[in-house]
Amino acid sequence: MRDLPGVPSRRTFLKASAATAVISTIPLSSQAATPTPPVPLDEYQPKTLSPVEWAFVMAAVARLIPSDGDGPGAIEVRVPVFIDNELGGGFGSAADWYMEGPHQADASPLRGYQTPLTPLQIYQQAIPVFNEWCQNTHGKIFADLDADTQNQALASLQKDEMKINPELRDFFTLLLQNTKEGYFADPMYGGNHGMQAWTYIGFPGARASYKEWVGRFNVQYPLGPVSISGERA
Amino acid sequence: MKTLLRVILALVVIGLIALVAFIYVPVQTTQPTTQLAADHKPAAGAGEYMMRASDCMACHTSEGGEPFAGGRAIESPMGTIWATNITPDKEDGIGNYTLDDFRAALYDGIRKDGAHLYPAMPYENYRKLNEEDVVALYDYFMNEVKPVSNKVEETKLSFPFNLRFGLRAWNWVALGDAGFKPVEGEDEQFNRGAYLVEGAAHCAACHSPRNLIMAQDGTDQTSEAFLSGGEIDGYTAPDLRGPRSAPQQWTVEQTAAYLATGRNAHSTATGEMMLVVRDSLQYLTDEDNMAIAAYVKKIGNGGQDQAAAEPAANQTAPAADQKAEVTETEKMLTDASPDMPLGPRLYLDNCGGCHFVNGKGAPEIFPELDNNSLVTASSSKGLLSVILHGAELPSTRNRPMKVRMQAYADRLNDEEVAALATFLRSAWHNNAPAVSAADVEAVRGNAH
Amino acid sequence: MARTEKKKDVVIVGLGWTGSILGMELAQEGLEIVALERGHDQNTVPEFQYPNMIDELKYGVRLGLMQKPRNSTVTIRRSLDEAALPYRSLGSFLPGNGVGGAGTHWNGLNWRPMLSEYRLRSYVEERWGAGIIPEDMQIQDYPVTYDELEPFFDRFEHVAGISGTAGNIKGQIMEGGNPFESPRARAYPMPAMPTTYDGAKFGEVTKAMGYHPFPRPGGIASQAYVNEYGMQMGPCNHCGFCERYGCYNYSKSSPQTAILDALKRKPNFEYRTKSEVLRIEMAPDGKTATGVTYFDENTEEEVFQPADLVILAAYQLHNVHLMLLSGIGQPYDPVTGEGVTGRNYAYQMNGGYTMFFKDEVFNPFVGTGANGMSIDDFGIDNIDFGQEGFIGGSYISSGQSNGQPIRNMPLPSGTPAWGADWKKAVGDWYGHVMSIGSHGSHMSYRTNYLDLDPTYKDRHGRPLMRMTFNWKDNDIRMTQFMKSKIEPIAKALNPTVMQAGFKQAGAMYDVRPYQTTHNVGGSVMGADPKTSAVNRYLQAWDKHNIFVMGAGAFPQNTQYNPTGMVGGLAYWAAHAIRTDYLRNPRPLV
Repeated sequence: MRDLPGVPSRRTFLKASAATAVISTIPLSSQAATPTPPVPLDEYQPKTLSPVEWAFVMAAVARLIPSDGDGPGAIEVRVPVFIDNELGGGFGSAADWYMEGPHQADASPLRGYQTPLTPLQIYQQAIPVFNEWCQNTHGKIFADLDADTQNQALASLQKDEMKINPELRDFFTLLLQNTKEGYFADPMYGGNHGMQAWTYIGFPGARASYKEWVGRFNVQYPLGPVSISGERA
Repeated sequence: MKTLLRVILALVVIGLIALVAFIYVPVQTTQPTTQLAADHKPAAGAGEYMMRASDCMACHTSEGGEPFAGGRAIESPMGTIWATNITPDKEDGIGNYTLDDFRAALYDGIRKDGAHLYPAMPYENYRKLNEEDVVALYDYFMNEVKPVSNKVEETKLSFPFNLRFGLRAWNWVALGDAGFKPVEGEDEQFNRGAYLVEGAAHCAACHSPRNLIMAQDGTDQTSEAFLSGGEIDGYTAPDLRGPRSAPQQWTVEQTAAYLATGRNAHSTATGEMMLVVRDSLQYLTDEDNMAIAAYVKKIGNGGQDQAAAEPAANQTAPAADQKAEVTETEKMLTDASPDMPLGPRLYLDNCGGCHFVNGKGAPEIFPELDNNSLVTASSSKGLLSVILHGAELPSTRNRPMKVRMQAYADRLNDEEVAALATFLRSAWHNNAPAVSAADVEAVRGNAH
Repeated sequence: MARTEKKKDVVIVGLGWTGSILGMELAQEGLEIVALERGHDQNTVPEFQYPNMIDELKYGVRLGLMQKPRNSTVTIRRSLDEAALPYRSLGSFLPGNGVGGAGTHWNGLNWRPMLSEYRLRSYVEERWGAGIIPEDMQIQDYPVTYDELEPFFDRFEHVAGISGTAGNIKGQIMEGGNPFESPRARAYPMPAMPTTYDGAKFGEVTKAMGYHPFPRPGGIASQAYVNEYGMQMGPCNHCGFCERYGCYNYSKSSPQTAILDALKRKPNFEYRTKSEVLRIEMAPDGKTATGVTYFDENTEEEVFQPADLVILAAYQLHNVHLMLLSGIGQPYDPVTGEGVTGRNYAYQMNGGYTMFFKDEVFNPFVGTGANGMSIDDFGIDNIDFGQEGFIGGSYISSGQSNGQPIRNMPLPSGTPAWGADWKKAVGDWYGHVMSIGSHGSHMSYRTNYLDLDPTYKDRHGRPLMRMTFNWKDNDIRMTQFMKSKIEPIAKALNPTVMQAGFKQAGAMYDVRPYQTTHNVGGSVMGADPKTSAVNRYLQAWDKHNIFVMGAGAFPQNTQYNPTGMVGGLAYWAAHAIRTDYLRNPRPLV
């Protein structure tokens, strides 16, 4: 970051326009004009998740926000990349949270996050448990089930039919929350690719300037979104 | 033939003698413009006040350095001029200067050793200081400034500018009479303003064009070019006298507020002018800033009727909410149609939050972009610099808040900045030529 | 002790609203002042700058501006016989962090309590008799009257820069304002902000029903503004990023826009960041403080800062925590009812209706934290609550802000939380929703209080503070009453679908969903040292050179957002210190 915006670094005297003649020879900057297309998801190398975990997340988010119907699905907006990023960062490691013991993971859910595990550890420990349950109940691990069965399995997970260890009980909540975050967060976090989810619902993203629209009652704001980095849609 | 040769030889000999005399005969320094009483003592604070008015610190203090210890690099087309140490240090500073030596530096641009100063030191203007202020400044530098031992790099310009004696001829041509002569028939405020503008505040150093020998084209209002706009480091220092110029469009109170705080109902100070507000003008009394504003207004041509029609500095009724005519630009921005061109789209995505769809911003905090001299300046460098690098208003006595605009260099590429700047220069009532991506590239490379 | 700093006249703990106010007021007395802020420094640019601040994930969801529980948190239990568990990740309330404190990330709603709220116990006893006060309810009067506070409310509103429409100027009812507000000496410094569509609809329908709608007053600039310190605000552009965000546009009242750059120019004022006060140190006789000990994160050492006057200006929870750790006031014991520090912790009782309109468009991203219309017809002064079987009241309003899709995606009940139907529903309903909320009082009770936790420690090895808190029938009856009043309003708007969200009998405190950061009490002000920790000037009863700012002083919570009262009390206390205490330091009562 620059120290302070716009403060000239030094006084100048009589530095007239002679220097401006040379500029036309400098080639145009193409910075940010054409963002390089991202790596396709099936070639993506997860930074945080193991291959089995990655396969689970790919399959699960595709059911949580499916691709069919109006609007993009979680896969089109690259939610799995978002989750891989988040679990590898401060969120995944519970960097901001109070994690000192003693822990009482089986306390009433109303009392908040009480497991000793970080979100990343919950993913890492719950995915094998859930896959094993899928194997036992439906004959295959989650990623290998057909879509309808995956939907049933996720519903079972949501209702905690497998009576998961209390330390892991926030797994489904986290997975669903992170999926929606990846769907709607700014694209710089890896999801909401092309701001498709914002475009779908009519959220203008990071524009944050609507003074002239306050009094325009019951009129749909027409302009598409802009992202923090300046992408337009 | 022989006669001709003899004549030529004679002329050469005479020329050489003249040149030797030009170089070696001691220069005469200007005497005091008035004789003060022998027991004259400057009033407490008078010297510091004149130092602020003259903005000595701006050039004579390096980034992070001790006050007045010099060492700041001042770039010029001829090379780097190193500002000198003007603390009362006897080795490296001006501790051995007599009052006469000091006056000679201010009036004639002549060092104690007789060498000529480069006119980066605005002695064209300082020579208007009256003797009371010269003495006050001398007293301040000798008694109130801490001596600092700091040997400053010697200025070494390229040939022929390294021949300081050449400045003697320059001085003959460029310098007017020393001392300030009040304009008869004008009131005290006008003359106080004239004294400050023409003298200590050295406004003409930036705001007047330079003539063929790079001297200020006029140092008082009798010259038409005086304060008609100049250029500094490729940035436009705007005209202050024309009918469309800011001080002629604004009320005197608004101009005075701009000088004292860097902000007023219309605009905010950026770049070099921001530094002048930060280091100099904010320390002047409100009366002096009013005098400067009144003087500049008076010597302008036109705009007075408009200004009179405008309500005095209003802080409670922002321009943005006044139901004035709605420009085509405003209408387009308000409609927020997805089909709009790139320039206005970028405005909505980056600028509209503060400057609003009518380009009017808000008094004292978000400058108007409609009819803004920085936006429409012949050089787009100032506008591009603000877009790319942001801007900051300094904390001042009357308006302590450091209002900052963030930089957009990271969010917008050169083509986008060019499209945005081109839009701004033709939006609302603006009508200035387009900006190219190459223009942007040049300013981007100059990141401060 | 690794280091002792040079003695100051005043040490201020925390540099948010009240720390900035006290800093400025006391700096004007020429005192040498140091403010210690445990968080980082922050300014509009670069910390809140556009576009970086417009980031729902970082600030709205991951709570980038808030205190990190890892560094500072509380434990919570719902009853005296439950084991308290740490508030490990933030949910129900969001204390701020860094210079400006919660004053940077609030919504801006700014109110003065209603007349009965300053003398609530007397008011109830006079009108209905003490018999209607439940046995475990500990409401009490403020030891200061509205008339005494009015100039200081006025002062804060003009420093902070509040937009609003006055409803009662010196007893004269003003058209368009809140006719039930306490009489004010003059108008708000700025006219009210324009309302969004939801507020306009609400205003229209409530007016037709005979109620008295008015624009919500808030610290959001409706135009350019300059306050008495020369500090400035720019007109709000209704970007919708208020609560949880710092304002990128100089439009929201905050210490940054109202005070700090002016304060920083004072040569006798200094502030140090990353400096967390660990305890207040006492003289051997225990009658005065000698200064504070803080942990300097920059040098990783404990530092003693001697001072003649100690101002506790941290968030309510942290002020009370420091008092408990330092022995300021006797800790409250809920069994014996003795002790004062930690007593009368209270919260806020809110509820609301959500209405879905298939064919109407609200552009929910357009808004401000204080935008919209309210009615005070069910305010605490205006209802015969004794007859209804509760003590309290609410203001009711509609206005939109924070229309960001991760968190603000109300869907008709019955909509699945995921899958194809969820995706269809977000497409169908985003932007077609408005809400009406009630913002209600919350009383104080014998078993809602704060003390030190016996088990959990913070990173400095200090016991965490323990919050014992649960909802009580009285306030639930109050909110159910509001539900019965809002329902006809909601129906009159004729939505496609509507649904209610009000606490019901037996509701237990759930720490997960955000409710409000209006934690009050614990360092209650009062006329009786047996039932209050500080006197009417916010001076600690037992240690006269300690003054405690903030909402901890509230004996119970009012029906309003607390900032206006917190600001008014800060100026009130500052005035007492300037005009009386400094001349002759002593217990002022």
